[in-house]
Amino acid sequence: MNQIHFTINGLPCVCEAGASILQAAKLNDIEIPNLCNDESVRVYGACGLCAVEVLDDGRGKPVPKLLRACSAKVMEGYVIRFDTERVNRSRKIALELLMSDHTGDCRGPCQLNCPAGTDCQGYVKKIAGGDFRGAVGIIKEKIPLPASIGRVCPHPCEQNCRRGLVEQPLSIAFLKAHAADRDLAGETYRPEPAAETGKTVAVVGGGPAGLTAAYYLRLKGHSVTVYDAAAKMGGMLRYGIPAYRLPKDVLDREIAEIARLGVSMKNNVRIGKDITLEQLRQESDAVILAAGAWSSMQMRVPGEDLDGVTGGIQFLHDISSGEGEIPDLTGKKVAVCGGGNTAMDACRTAIRCGAETVYVIYRRTRSEMPAEEIEIEESAEEGVTYKFLTNPAEIVGENGRVKQIRLQIMELGEPDASGRRSPVPVAGAFETLDVDLVIMAIGQKPDTAGLDGVTLTKKGTVAADTATFLTNLPDVYAVGDLTNRGASIAIEAIGEAGRCAAVVDSALRGEMKPYSAPYYSQKTVTAEDLAGREKQPRCQMPVRPAAERAKDFAPVNLGLSDETAVQEAKRCLECGCHDYAECKLIRYAQQQEIHPERLRGVKHTPGQERRLVCIERDNGKCILCGLCVRICDEVAKQGILGLVGRGFPTAVKPEFQDPAAVAICRSCKKCALACPTGALKIIED
Amino acid sequence: MSIRLAVGQGSCGIAAGAQKVANALRPLLAGSEVQLGTVGCIGMCWLEPIVDLYENDTLKARLVRVQPNHAEAIAEAAKSGDLSGIAELVIQPEDSAFLEQQTRIALRNCGIIDPESLESAKAAGAYSALGKILSTGMTPEDVIEVIKVSGLAGRGGAGFPTWFKWNAARQSAGDEKYLICNADEGDPGAFMDRAVIESDPHTLIEGMLIGAYAIGAKEAIVYVRAEYPLAIRRLENAICDAREAGYIGKNIMETDFSCEFRIKAGAGAFVCGEETALIESLEGQRGMPRLKPPFPAQSGYWNKPSNINNVETFANVAWIISNGGEAFAAMGTEDSKGTKVFALTGKIRRGGLVEIPMGMTLRQVIFEIGGGIRDGGTFKAVQMGGPSGGCIPASLLDTVIDYKKLAATGAIMGSGGMVVMDDSTCMVSMAKFFLDFTAKESCGKCVHCRIGTKRLQEILTRITEGEGQEGDIELMEELCNAVRDGALCGLGQTAPNPVLSTLRYFRDEFEAHIRDKRCPAHTCTALLHVSIDAEKCRGCTACARNCPVYAISGAVKEPHEINADACIHCGRCKAVCKFGAVIVE
Amino acid sequence: MQCECTKQKSDLSLLEPVLAEYAAVPGSLITILQHAQEIYGYLPTDVLYRIAECTGNSPARVLGVATFYTQFRFQPVGKYLIMLCDGTACHVNGSARIAAAVQEYLHVENGGTTEDGLFSFSIVACLGCCSLSPVMMINGDTYGSLTPEQVLEILKDIQAKEAAE
Repeated sequence: MNQIHFTINGLPCVCEAGASILQAAKLNDIEIPNLCNDESVRVYGACGLCAVEVLDDGRGKPVPKLLRACSAKVMEGYVIRFDTERVNRSRKIALELLMSDHTGDCRGPCQLNCPAGTDCQGYVKKIAGGDFRGAVGIIKEKIPLPASIGRVCPHPCEQNCRRGLVEQPLSIAFLKAHAADRDLAGETYRPEPAAETGKTVAVVGGGPAGLTAAYYLRLKGHSVTVYDAAAKMGGMLRYGIPAYRLPKDVLDREIAEIARLGVSMKNNVRIGKDITLEQLRQESDAVILAAGAWSSMQMRVPGEDLDGVTGGIQFLHDISSGEGEIPDLTGKKVAVCGGGNTAMDACRTAIRCGAETVYVIYRRTRSEMPAEEIEIEESAEEGVTYKFLTNPAEIVGENGRVKQIRLQIMELGEPDASGRRSPVPVAGAFETLDVDLVIMAIGQKPDTAGLDGVTLTKKGTVAADTATFLTNLPDVYAVGDLTNRGASIAIEAIGEAGRCAAVVDSALRGEMKPYSAPYYSQKTVTAEDLAGREKQPRCQMPVRPAAERAKDFAPVNLGLSDETAVQEAKRCLECGCHDYAECKLIRYAQQQEIHPERLRGVKHTPGQERRLVCIERDNGKCILCGLCVRICDEVAKQGILGLVGRGFPTAVKPEFQDPAAVAICRSCKKCALACPTGALKIIED
Repeated sequence: MSIRLAVGQGSCGIAAGAQKVANALRPLLAGSEVQLGTVGCIGMCWLEPIVDLYENDTLKARLVRVQPNHAEAIAEAAKSGDLSGIAELVIQPEDSAFLEQQTRIALRNCGIIDPESLESAKAAGAYSALGKILSTGMTPEDVIEVIKVSGLAGRGGAGFPTWFKWNAARQSAGDEKYLICNADEGDPGAFMDRAVIESDPHTLIEGMLIGAYAIGAKEAIVYVRAEYPLAIRRLENAICDAREAGYIGKNIMETDFSCEFRIKAGAGAFVCGEETALIESLEGQRGMPRLKPPFPAQSGYWNKPSNINNVETFANVAWIISNGGEAFAAMGTEDSKGTKVFALTGKIRRGGLVEIPMGMTLRQVIFEIGGGIRDGGTFKAVQMGGPSGGCIPASLLDTVIDYKKLAATGAIMGSGGMVVMDDSTCMVSMAKFFLDFTAKESCGKCVHCRIGTKRLQEILTRITEGEGQEGDIELMEELCNAVRDGALCGLGQTAPNPVLSTLRYFRDEFEAHIRDKRCPAHTCTALLHVSIDAEKCRGCTACARNCPVYAISGAVKEPHEINADACIHCGRCKAVCKFGAVIVE
Repeated sequence: MQCECTKQKSDLSLLEPVLAEYAAVPGSLITILQHAQEIYGYLPTDVLYRIAECTGNSPARVLGVATFYTQFRFQPVGKYLIMLCDGTACHVNGSARIAAAVQEYLHVENGGTTEDGLFSFSIVACLGCCSLSPVMMINGDTYGSLTPEQVLEILKDIQAKEAAE
């Protein structure tokens, strides 16, 4: 036996003479990227991804050309690299070229629009199969609080759901809540933390962001402590979201699941008062700031400092915490200023506190309201009075207490840069309402007292790097409402915290890997493309009658039945590629930063055509590696598939689209199994 | 005294009307002593049809641009010996100089012998080199040594030493070997291989037989383009004659050497000029290149050792054997030996086939032999090497013709296409033309070529249509380098050359298209602005009547106007205006 | 569903001599296809099937080979096949103007056939008559140094000849 010695990417390797570089690498447990190679068929050399550079041919000279590892033989003394700048450049362009002619959705539009990147299609599919625990397993890869988030999330996923082009989007958020409820009620999904790393992390803030960071870092084996100023964990989920939307026991149980992993939770600890940031930094290997945004913004109108004027968050917090008494608003008139979800929570809470009249003061019209449609609808049912196109001009007091609110009448002007028509005052037009309580729900900002030495943005939020989540301090990270753009929805904070946890984990292991958004192939689908789909209406969440629910803080929603949930889940169009997990193309594409859009041009026409017995082929996803053709020919010995045409328009086709081809196919499925992308799909009938 | 009229009947000559001339002469000469013969192409294509008048096999007069209505006068002159009646047809001395400045080896018999007659070829020395080898006991190794001494390199483009390939095939184990002639002349702008086959097929056959003897092949195959029907016919005919005469088949010239001959017609795929794709095609497959190694010399046609050379390479072989390797090597430069045939075309005054010793300058070929630019234009660039080559600008006209020196300019020797361009040629659309070609001819196997050339072509199209963007030049350069590095075969690896070389020398033209939305050569129609000079316009209405999109308006005898939004820049108004009033810019 | 291809009915007996000569010779597929096209003027699908059957190639391979080469056609062509050269020299010397003249006069696209079935028009790679550029070939006859006016004369001559027959 003639053994030869060589190196690949600096690693010493050995194999028998005569092997190709690709084979030699494999024998030494090194994977050189490749798409068109398969050991069962002859070497082809089409994809060019396996290009390697030989820096030394064993005789002290470099090989001038890049070599295709699949065909070039390895030689004694070769110094092979496939991580040089030249190779990376070549592979990058090859991937960009391939992707520029690859039409498909790696992941569904639901997942791509989820700020946390939750695999909605994946868990919906589990639910469709009645596997709620399996569904929770998938959800918890991104969201550790699915029962809570499923109830409160404004679900950007549903916004992009393609079912919306057929009739209505899937009820993805409620499906998530349902699966999580069923999971909590039964044999709960409980992942085990990895082996202890001995590293410690302090998380400041026990809201959705802090808990998420804690959960994923604990799963990685780090020792995590969460500090929160409030009496209980949960942050905005507990103190900002009213119980009629998210019952506290649901939140408690989900937090208990996190604690169960061994996350230490310390309440009533305020940073800067009970403990300093410096102390935390000394005690821990990393600190994550996730303290949220708890101060209501001011409107800067006269009378804002009167008694009876409060912030939306303050109002909700006082009620939820039981710190302030639940105010008895019986017979009182309340004005809520703002059009977002906090305004909705505030107005509906005021109703539940017995207020006689609750106004929502909003300067645009209903269609411009950022709050969720269902919230507007349900609040109106519960008796909220909307004052559209009005803006507080002055809060009029009497003896230091609110008496009236004077409203400027507005009208819609020209659209602004964001496309929204901006409101402009109608000169001289005012309206005055008698009110006892004014709630300002126009936004929140963080309270950064106690975060000594941390650099802030101009907005007063903590400045954190978008890729590393690091603040100006080398071991202090920050995520969520506290940072950069300021307050947003919970799932944004959860997404950021999850990505941050991965960065922190990598840093704790010695090599920080900053976050970079992975590349996904996406395609455009219009209503016409889906015109043939059968219409199946969206499930309706049963709710308590308005008259009844307006009187208490018990849940509005009654929950879905298992049958309804399964039915609803089956509406999923499964837009994301079936082969994502196995797809070699996307795996390589995500290993480096690529920009196929700069090479955009004509593409092969996508389309699913069921061509052969058990194989469905999507021309848009085919990368012409020829593996299916060669396997059908050389391995299956059928020769049903062939390359037709030449150059760019070349396509793989069964012979003449002839029924005879169907007769020849033995359904060995070898072609589909070998396909490096999702172009061939096995249909299970 | 024998008098003979020889009508040049290569494809070009026939296209120019040579056959009609011959048909007109035939009845007029019937019964006279004057013989009427056919010869191939002398390479003076701009003078076709050409009739040569021979007296005792000596050229007495060369008559050019002959038309059937000249037949009577020619016949009369041939019979009487008095040429005064056809004086106007006799070639001008400066046109004769075209041939006099050449050194013809590969083309030595072209336009002189009758391509359909073995006797005519033998009279010019055909098969004497083969005879010399077989009768003097030269071994295959001896033959390879002579070729090595000659320095002959592959004339198809790559310029690889011929002896080396022959030796590699010779050294390969096995007694079933193949000798293949690549006559799939696909470079647009090159036609020397066609001319050799049409004009002197026995020289090719003899060269191939010598090659077959050298490597030990018992079968020789000519892979020839289907677009060359006349070449195929004459070659078939020649193979037939040679077989009958004992030059092909078993025991050639009564020796132990045996070799069969076969023609295989290509079916239209430029990539089949690449040797492994050619082999796939010969085997009846899609012409998609194979990975190298193994090289054909080890494993080629039917996985047997095979040697592939192009027509011009083989056309030099017999001469080298007869005259010695040293004689061939005495011509040319340090790096490139012997002669090279060029197809001189485009905006050239005297276009045709030129065979010159290596080492001449481009200026000599284009201006001294070719007579410079026709129609009073100005030289802008010469394209060499077709879709694998590049454009050489005026500043480099003194470049010496030699493999290395040409490669240094970004062009290549290639198979010898020399397309001359004047200032009316847009270099961006030239680059686009070549990428259109390679994208269309890409076999589609490897990613870099299949998608890369397509994207390059799309970017170039965008630029010529006025949709170029800032950054396009840099993107093309990046893409070009990647395609050159990553493509599987020669077609893809060299496809970026036309873009890179035009970018190198004519970058300002690209920038004018992209930034100023202007085509300096006024050829990219989307970038043209057509207007009428009111001072010059007489209101004749010719432009308005001829405008295909009714974009021109104006009263009779009043200056007309062009509606710029409707105008499609076709230029017809400019063509019909008698007063030069239409301005295209 | 029955697709168009299997409905085609060509006289396959015409092909038999070709198959008899070449079917057993390895590597002859392209040669057989060339002969078949000479016989039928194009390559009908049932002919391709027959060739596959007799040469031991799968129909997919036969179609793959046939579609790779530009010489092969899958639609009947007109009586006169006009091949206009778009090689470099022809391109530089204005083949685009010739193409426009042919297309306008015959109302035919590149790759198309006139309604009367008389002409097919195809822009092809270099015909190798670069010195006479621009060049076209009609049924094997080459015409060089063309101008749009000359092209129209040539086409009109053919039309007149056909009308006379």
